[in-house]
Amino acid sequence: MSNNKMIEVQNLQKKFKNNTVLKDITEHVDKGQVICVIGPSGAGKSTFLRCLNCLEQPTSGKVFFEGNDLTKITDKQLNQLREKMGMVFQGFNLFPNMNVIENIKLAPMKVKNIPEKEAEETGMKLLEKVGLAEKAKQYPDQLSGGQKQRVAIARALAMNPEVMLFDEPTSALDPEMVDEVLTVMHDLADSGMTMVVVTHEMGFAHEVADQIWFMADGYIQETGKPDEFFAHPTSDRAKEFLKKILK
Amino acid sequence: MKCFKHWLMLIIIAFPILCAPVSAFAADKSSSSSSATDASQVAENASLQRIKQKGTLVVGTSADYPPYEFTTKENGKTKYVGFEVSLMRQFAKDIGVKLVIKNMDFDSLLVALETGKIDCIAGAMNITNERKKSVDFSNVYYTGDSYFLINKSDKDKLVNAKSFNGKTVGAQNGTLQSTMISKDMPQANGKGLAKLSSLVIGLQSHKYDGVLVDAATAKAYASNNSNLYAFDSKLPATAGGIALAFPKGDTSLVNAANQTIKKVNDENLINKKWLPESAQYMKSYKKQNTVLSYWRYFAKGLEYTLIITIVSVFFGFILGTLFALMRLSKNKLLHSIAVCYIEFLRGTPMMVQIMFVYFGIGAIIQSLPALLAGIIAVSLNSGAYVAEIIRSGIQSIPLGQTEAARSLGMDKNKAFRYVIMPQALKNIWPALGNELITLLKDSSLVSVIGVTELMFQTQLVQSATYKGVLPLFITMMIYFILTFTLSRILLYFEGRMKHVQ
Ligand SMILES: Nc1ncnc2c1ncn2[C@@H]1O[C@H](COP(=O)(O)OP(=O)(O)OP(=O)(O)O)[C@@H](O)[C@H]1O
Ligand SMILES: [Mg+2]
Repeated sequence: MSNNKMIEVQNLQKKFKNNTVLKDITEHVDKGQVICVIGPSGAGKSTFLRCLNCLEQPTSGKVFFEGNDLTKITDKQLNQLREKMGMVFQGFNLFPNMNVIENIKLAPMKVKNIPEKEAEETGMKLLEKVGLAEKAKQYPDQLSGGQKQRVAIARALAMNPEVMLFDEPTSALDPEMVDEVLTVMHDLADSGMTMVVVTHEMGFAHEVADQIWFMADGYIQETGKPDEFFAHPTSDRAKEFLKKILK
Repeated sequence: MKCFKHWLMLIIIAFPILCAPVSAFAADKSSSSSSATDASQVAENASLQRIKQKGTLVVGTSADYPPYEFTTKENGKTKYVGFEVSLMRQFAKDIGVKLVIKNMDFDSLLVALETGKIDCIAGAMNITNERKKSVDFSNVYYTGDSYFLINKSDKDKLVNAKSFNGKTVGAQNGTLQSTMISKDMPQANGKGLAKLSSLVIGLQSHKYDGVLVDAATAKAYASNNSNLYAFDSKLPATAGGIALAFPKGDTSLVNAANQTIKKVNDENLINKKWLPESAQYMKSYKKQNTVLSYWRYFAKGLEYTLIITIVSVFFGFILGTLFALMRLSKNKLLHSIAVCYIEFLRGTPMMVQIMFVYFGIGAIIQSLPALLAGIIAVSLNSGAYVAEIIRSGIQSIPLGQTEAARSLGMDKNKAFRYVIMPQALKNIWPALGNELITLLKDSSLVSVIGVTELMFQTQLVQSATYKGVLPLFITMMIYFILTFTLSRILLYFEGRMKHVQ
């Protein structure tokens, strides 16, 4: 169907000691696609996402990014490919000793050797895009959770990635701040960014995703368009899960 | 099992370190014993030849022992004087080489000779049978009785050796007099210290009731300090008089020394010329001999203390970072090496480490200067403590920081350098500051191997001025001003780092 696969996973398996978290996963993400990964807690969603940029080393199986098998390449090549895969964490992971703009321009300057002035300009543009231009000189401590997460998104975007990976970006936020982050992500999706989003926000998933991947017990149990999935889940695990969260 | 592995590592690492100097000593011994059997071939002994080729005669002495050897200042510089110094000048002149004097504690002299740090000892050293086992003596050039040095106020109470029964008597460690106390004065309570000047301070503060020293020295102290009094101990002389000590087997050098000594004895140079000269030094000195006039001594001491501190902090930090990273490394070998290093250096006294580096490593690398040895020891020691501080700092940074950095394409090094280390440094800044202040103070331990840092210089001033407490007080104030300033500076930076966040 598609020869523009951006990420492809084949027979992915991940064990922590005796605990097999990912059992056998084969899937792919096309360029421009927005995938939302949902599933019960402990299903292995975070682990799966972290295998995509090899923050976790898969136990077996293959992970391709733009045709390169990440499990076979050198560390140096892996670092270069990671530049193209932005990641946003549940806990923001901003650098607390740097202000907002320093957070954003550090990697472009140190990894891509972009001159400071240019990095700063791009950084400011991204801050405007996430609506935080006036916070450029503030430190992470001085920001609200929602603002922190938007800075984290801008920081990832500063490397000009081809794909963005989100791991429950709104679960650590107070309810009133969830929307500001989702809005930014929505805009990003609209601009054509390829995205893999682990989330518990079913409204967002329904609205934005091209495909829902439902994960449970170390497998992707079923995939489908949001309308179909939410209306007619096929697997028992998905039915059970949806019943629980819709209560 | 894991524990066992660690022990194994420790032994494997420690073994060559411990064996190296031992084998060096062993080699020394065997070569010296073989040359002893060749004593008939005196002419072929190379020791004199070696000194002549080298061009210098390095003499070890403990220069707080007037009128034998002591220091005076000339144009602000330390000058070694005393009749033994004059004798050594004569000897060096006779064999046509330059004289170099190394000042150290009396009880370090024999080790220094054994490890080749010095060529000869001129330290008012009496010939005894025990010493004969480890060194070769020259002929005798002076015989001195032993005198008691006491506080003048006790003059009526303490009149002979018996009156010290149940009292405390001090003597310099390793001297004939310290043996005499334990042998001939069993009822007295004998105590030893490395420095005669410290003993005299102890006497003045009534820690000791008397100090047993060589007659000439006792008289010198008494005539320079009106609160002190000296009298003949009348203890039986057990020793064969005072002579120069040489490494075993250096026969040609001993013979050359004996020629000089014969000339000196024939002309009675010591009694006629050199003793009066020494007395003159001590007298002319007395008038302008205030502690403050020795400010240059303190300045020099301060300079060396700062040099040792700054250089050691620099290398200590580098070593510390290295070992912290090794300890955190997944590589088991690197990890074990770091653990052994850290545990070993934290588990042994710094004083011992300093002496071990100087005498132990110095036995292999003969030309290792004391300052360098001191800096190496202090850096190594500090490295172990800094490593632990840095390790705790790195571990205090949440894993998410590394993951964020890696996800932005940074490699391990960049993530460490730009993200982890700056945050770790901020967290450990107070602990590092503490370590720096400790290091500054502990650098005073380097005085034991004769580095002219603040503590060593203080001891020089003490023995030169015959005053004990004031030089110590001045030194204490200098250390305090240094550490206080330092802690203010560190606080300022700590505040700035906080401000930034
Ligand atoms: N570093 C690790 N070491 C050992 N076990 C781990 C590690 N990371 C995750 N696990 C285990 O893997 C399983 C899946 O964890 P994962 O975080 O991937 O689940 P999740 O689907 O993201 O759950 P949640 O919705 O709670 O975030 C859990 O049982 C967890 O205990
Ligand atoms: Mg998770």
